[in-house]
Amino acid sequence: METMNKLGRILMVEDDPKDVELSLTALEEYNLANEVIVTHDGEQALDYLYCRGEYKTRSSGNPAVMLLDLKLPKVDGLEVLKQIKSDGELRMIPVVVLTSSKEEKDMVASYKLGVNAYVVKPVDFHEFVNAIKELGVFWAVINEPPPGSVRK
Amino acid sequence: MARSNLELPLARSPVLRYGLAALSVSVALGAALLLERFHFRNVADPLFLVAIAVTVWYAGIGPAIFAVVLSGLGDTYFFIEPIYSLYITRDDIPHFVIFVLFASLLTGFAAVRRRVERDLVQARDDLQIEVAERTQQASLLNLTHDPIFVRDMSDVITYWNRGAQELYGWTDKEAVGRRSQELLQTIVPTPLEDIRAELLRINRWEGELRKTKADGTQVVVASRWSLRRDEQERPVAILETNNNITEGKRREDEIQGLNQELAKRSAELESINKELEAFAYSVSHDLRAPLRHMAGYTELLQERASSVVDEKSNHYMAMILDSAKRMGNLIDDLLAFSRIGRAETQKTRFNLTQLVKEAVSEVREGTEGRNIAWKIGTLPDFYGDRSMLRLVLVNLLSNAIKFTRTRPQAEIEIGSANGNGDELIVFVRDNGVGFDMKYVNKLFGVFQRLHQAHEFEGTGIGLATVQRIIHRHGGKVWAEGVVDSGATFYFSAPRPEGQLWRP
Repeated sequence: METMNKLGRILMVEDDPKDVELSLTALEEYNLANEVIVTHDGEQALDYLYCRGEYKTRSSGNPAVMLLDLKLPKVDGLEVLKQIKSDGELRMIPVVVLTSSKEEKDMVASYKLGVNAYVVKPVDFHEFVNAIKELGVFWAVINEPPPGSVRK
Repeated sequence: MARSNLELPLARSPVLRYGLAALSVSVALGAALLLERFHFRNVADPLFLVAIAVTVWYAGIGPAIFAVVLSGLGDTYFFIEPIYSLYITRDDIPHFVIFVLFASLLTGFAAVRRRVERDLVQARDDLQIEVAERTQQASLLNLTHDPIFVRDMSDVITYWNRGAQELYGWTDKEAVGRRSQELLQTIVPTPLEDIRAELLRINRWEGELRKTKADGTQVVVASRWSLRRDEQERPVAILETNNNITEGKRREDEIQGLNQELAKRSAELESINKELEAFAYSVSHDLRAPLRHMAGYTELLQERASSVVDEKSNHYMAMILDSAKRMGNLIDDLLAFSRIGRAETQKTRFNLTQLVKEAVSEVREGTEGRNIAWKIGTLPDFYGDRSMLRLVLVNLLSNAIKFTRTRPQAEIEIGSANGNGDELIVFVRDNGVGFDMKYVNKLFGVFQRLHQAHEFEGTGIGLATVQRIIHRHGGKVWAEGVVDSGATFYFSAPRPEGQLWRP
């Protein structure tokens, strides 16, 4: 796959280490895990995007996609989404909400803020792996990310 | 008042009136001639004047002038030299002129007096009529149950009707002459000056007043004031009508109190509902995550270890996965159930037959290979939340499909029955495994199941959801069943307005 297409960088915002591990396992199965940046709360995610705090020295460039959980410590997912979508520089980054919540109001709120996709994490592991894989393949490989995104 | 005292016996007929003039002058003339025969001197003139006076008094001014003329002629003819002729000597002219003038003067005075008296009588009559009318009006005011009283501009009561007596307990004798403020201890809602100003501006005022009765208790009255002005537009009196609204006011206060209580309860409920919502959200989000992890890690374990561990270990792992999946379903159903309680219903009128067809085609998926005979009767229109009712039908039909699984030929019927009055009834009947009526009360409870999990899968929330939705539509749910002979589930709902029952 890598030989045919460049792999876009994935920014994962997920506070639950088990979810992180399972997601990375799923991505690894399809060799999509190399370019994954994991942040554990909303503040860290914003720090990464704005190259500040611990990410002050990171190489520039936006992720090709951001996988965003909604329930996050400090700054929650909807707030992160709101900040990204109201920032002229960052608003082009595709954001996929990846959450346990099936609540309609979360979905409506996310779409109103301009989310690019909304995915409910399936309880069934097979379905979960498939969902993660498809997301990874689509956003990091198939989709042509906006200019300024990091691809390798 | 004796009316005849001032009554003037004025003759109406002109013949009688002028006849009276002629008669009185004739009598005076006869008397004068008679007295002259007895050598009384100068009696003619006074007698004629008496005759004229009588005429003017009893017959009016016309006959009196006639009497003056007759008297003049009689005097000239019989008593002024030369006698028995109408000729008057130069010496007698002053006498004659003075007589005529005096007679005219007498007539004039009498006529004036007469007219004044007639006016007086007229005025008295008018007055009596008005008094009668007023008396009648006052007694009419007494007939009304509403308290009415009049006070002058210095607040002294001048009229007090029976309604006022009944409400306040003061008789009119006790009330009239007293100052109304002292008598009733009126409590006004706005400064009295404002009320007076409004009264003077638009001649009326109305509002709620609190007054004290003779027994010391307070009443609340709806009060209307009307200002009466005299001909010079000066305010002279205030007529006040009261309407006892104490009871209404008390009820109003009570209702207001109840409303406040209700608003409080409603706010409490709302906050409880919010808490519940937050709880449901948290369940939705937080309960699912560990479940997903259990399932995920077990799967990973299965992948790595299935080939190296024994069959039992593989079975255990399969059981963990199965339980995780089941719990996931339970959480989903429970959340759906809780959402129905919280969601707002959006009611419209729709065709039930169409909805049943949609529900049937939805539940048919996954029944490939099954032999199911569907029978859909004529269904009435329904007024309610379409998507919720769809869930009701899907749940009932899924149950029917599930519990007829053991039948070589499943029969599922959806129809309607006649309810009481404004009620419509819909039923779903199957020829499945049925149930024992002794457990009928458990059917609609949350997590209640009448079958063991290995016989028929399920979370035990479907019928609870059905019941909750139907209750929210103001209807009822019930069921009839016979073990091994099928079950019928009914729900009722208020019939849409204007729809006649057609079987």
